[in-house]
Amino acid sequence: MRLKDFTSNLKRSDPQTFRRLSLIQTMEITIKFTINGKIVKVEVPPHWTLLRLLREKLGLTGTKEGCGIGECGACTVVMDGRPINACLILAPKAEGRSVETVEGLGDQVFLHPLQQSFIDHGAVQCGFCTPGILMSAKTLLDGNPHPTKEEVKGAISGHLCRCTGYQQIVEAIEDTGKKRKVIR
Amino acid sequence: MRRQVGANIPKVDGLEKVLGEVRYGADLPAKEPLCLKVVRSPKSHAKIVRIEMDEALRIPGVERVFTAKDIPGKNLVGTITKDQPILCSDRVRYIGDPVALVAAKTSEAAEAAANKVVVVYEDLPALNHPEEALKLNGPLIHDKGNLLFEFHVIKGDVQKGLRESHLIIEKTYQTTWVDHAYLEPDAGISFLDEKERVTVVCPTQNVHYDQKEVASVLGLSLDQVRIIQCATGGGFGGRLDITIQCLLALAVFHLKKPVKIVYSREEVFQVTSKRHPLTIRYKSGVKEDGTLIAVEVEILGDTGAYASYGPTVCIRSAVHATGPYLIPNVKVRSRMVYTNNSWSGAMRGFGVPQMAFAHESQMDLLAQALKIDPLEFRLKNCLRNGSETATGQTLMTSVGIGETLRKVKECRDKANHSREDPKRPFIKRGVGVGSMWYGIGNTGIANPSTAQMEIDPNGEVRLYIGVADIGQGSDTVLLQIASEGLGIPLKEIRVIRADTALTTDAGATSASRQTYISGNAILDAINYLKQEAIKEAGPLLNMDEKDLFYEEGKVKARTCLTTSLPVREVARRSGKVIKGEGSFDPETTRLDSKTGQGAPYATYAFATHLAEVEVDTETGKVRVNRVVASHDVGRAIHPKNVIGQITGGVAMGMGFALMEEYVPGGTTSFVNYLIPTSKDVPEVIPILVEENEPSGPFGAKGVGEPALIPCAPAILNAITDAIGERIYHLPANLERVLETVRKKKAGNSNH
Ligand code: FES
Ligand code: FES
Repeated sequence: MRLKDFTSNLKRSDPQTFRRLSLIQTMEITIKFTINGKIVKVEVPPHWTLLRLLREKLGLTGTKEGCGIGECGACTVVMDGRPINACLILAPKAEGRSVETVEGLGDQVFLHPLQQSFIDHGAVQCGFCTPGILMSAKTLLDGNPHPTKEEVKGAISGHLCRCTGYQQIVEAIEDTGKKRKVIR
Repeated sequence: MRRQVGANIPKVDGLEKVLGEVRYGADLPAKEPLCLKVVRSPKSHAKIVRIEMDEALRIPGVERVFTAKDIPGKNLVGTITKDQPILCSDRVRYIGDPVALVAAKTSEAAEAAANKVVVVYEDLPALNHPEEALKLNGPLIHDKGNLLFEFHVIKGDVQKGLRESHLIIEKTYQTTWVDHAYLEPDAGISFLDEKERVTVVCPTQNVHYDQKEVASVLGLSLDQVRIIQCATGGGFGGRLDITIQCLLALAVFHLKKPVKIVYSREEVFQVTSKRHPLTIRYKSGVKEDGTLIAVEVEILGDTGAYASYGPTVCIRSAVHATGPYLIPNVKVRSRMVYTNNSWSGAMRGFGVPQMAFAHESQMDLLAQALKIDPLEFRLKNCLRNGSETATGQTLMTSVGIGETLRKVKECRDKANHSREDPKRPFIKRGVGVGSMWYGIGNTGIANPSTAQMEIDPNGEVRLYIGVADIGQGSDTVLLQIASEGLGIPLKEIRVIRADTALTTDAGATSASRQTYISGNAILDAINYLKQEAIKEAGPLLNMDEKDLFYEEGKVKARTCLTTSLPVREVARRSGKVIKGEGSFDPETTRLDSKTGQGAPYATYAFATHLAEVEVDTETGKVRVNRVVASHDVGRAIHPKNVIGQITGGVAMGMGFALMEEYVPGGTTSFVNYLIPTSKDVPEVIPILVEENEPSGPFGAKGVGEPALIPCAPAILNAITDAIGERIYHLPANLERVLETVRKKKAGNSNH
């Protein structure tokens, strides 16, 4: 989100915080939180969003900004087990929490089954929506290992994808759930 | 070796994308880049009186504010007509026109400074309707006049055809602005590379075009400018024009320091190109037996403030006006007009989606009036091998429209479509079809591609290709073609792509042309490489070149089955780089400027969609339950990719049909610009009709744009089937559907 939008939003929704923030805009505060399983301590200007912190301070650019105002889902990360729009959360809110991003999902050697399934199903075109959708899908499967097609569609309905028409994405997620069944 | 063509191999960029490792514009690393921010016009038409920047320059961290005066070269860009300034000097022509550019140490400072640049304007009368813009003696948006382009297609004698018609139907259709809504906002970096070249790394659909424009704006030679395409989060035509390239380059040119720009979504909505709104007056004449004999079409398009691809859309919409049907008497007049609206450019289909909405509505109206089944009516009139098109081109092969229609008909006849929902009486169901044809590549002009293949002595196999993969998967498909052609496994070929310093011009990723045209260029390169390999292998095998041939990655002897040498071995032993340079330009002829006659494309793709919808007559909500999408794409090199194009095209077509309406100066976010979500999209049943195209690489044609085109007409025809009344204005949003339902009710009670 542009700073201007953010501050003007804040001015409206939370004037008290806005005033406090204006005072401390130039200073940085230290926050401590868990990112992809590791505890980090970072200095961050308090008006930064979590998205900006991840991308600009921690170098985790896998999480994308598609709109900056909570409308596209590209910035989705998992915080304490729930998918959130990192563009809508102020960085200091991450204090003491556990945040997971696409970088923590899998790596070259051990892909998360969802990542493999996205490749197998051709669910990735330009790929800009992919990290965010993967994070929502992961939370879905963590709580509901074998979702139905409708449940999958519901879980990713906050994400925009302009390339795929969602069909392969939904299939990829549904199929990951089905494959789990086989293993058990 | 496993066959590559037709194999659903994993996309070559899939892994880095699911890992989140791939870098798009905003992710690119740069050393302490200065942040850029553009000052834009809030006026749709005004004179710039003066620009004051003192206050802006006083903000800490601000390095520089650029205006038109800082542009060393030509301050105009445009693919066809160069009329669009990088920074406006004397006048702004739409809301969002760039006036100044701030460079600062932080994005906050750049933003704050941009807000402090004062631009004093003097309002000029704004023209917002093409008809108004065409009036004599009115204000001029560009000095040469407000009519940007006019094009005609004339065949046979349309008046005679209409006189001989048993039935004539004439209607007017209206479409609106549509945004590409690619998910990645434009962003990129620029710096001086090790050779002091102004280097721009950004998302784009055509690096070589960008290079020419940047060089011209900076007054540099081509070799002083380098464009590298980074991972691109969608394009759909929106990144064919210059977006951020020249702004980045201008700042680096002056500051000699790395710079970065990241557009906000609001900015993307405001300042990138849009789909042209077209007003289409369409008159069709048909004989009693259902044979089409005449169409007369008048197209008026709004290109907005700048030309961009306006002429292309003007021509392409005229050439495709008849739809994929055989019609002996045709008269089309197409005009493209400047206004002070947002500028329109290339968007998936170049005017053909708008035309398909019109001609497919006409087809259903005629079928209904003649009491013929709409699919039978299309089958009766569709083009076949040997048919002549409206531009007088005889299509000898690969005319798959009939087959796509038959496939859809089978599906429709099998399905049991109930029209009512007993539990929800306010729901009406309907089924509709839409067909299309689409010429692959640019219209009647040269649009070559070039490619190089090489194998070096240490065994590395490389494909050099200037093609921009924007997510559709051209890297994968072109590698498949290279692998199949060379007989070397795909994993062992490295692709070097879309970097003007390393690759040669492949033309734009547009007009569904890259598989067909660049695929052929690669095969051409491979042919040269093979000859080269045979030549080098001769002395190594102690044989005459004439007795050698190339097969499956090896040079083999004709006379002796056991004598062969792998091509990489040839390179190693000869110590030479075995190389082939190829090119391909489809065989077309220029269209006659008065009659539009000629053979504008070497091949055409065809498609038919069948849509099943439910209309809620109380809210106006249309739900598309299922779309059967039958496509003749030639040979599908990567069927899964083709299907991905189709499902994506259906979603975008559905948006075009039902929800997407960009408002110049009004649309700012996805809150007021709705695109389909996972809950909106229908189930898509793709059907691939693979009519081999002899001139295509392994028989392939193209699919990118065809995937979208027939969808909206099929949905609109299905809505008509459901509610018994037709909508002539896109999108068919809640209000329009409700209004039409009411009109129908009122009409019924009048009887
Ligand atoms: S960037 Fe956060 S929802 Fe779009
Ligand atoms: S793959 Fe491009 S936006 Fe989803």
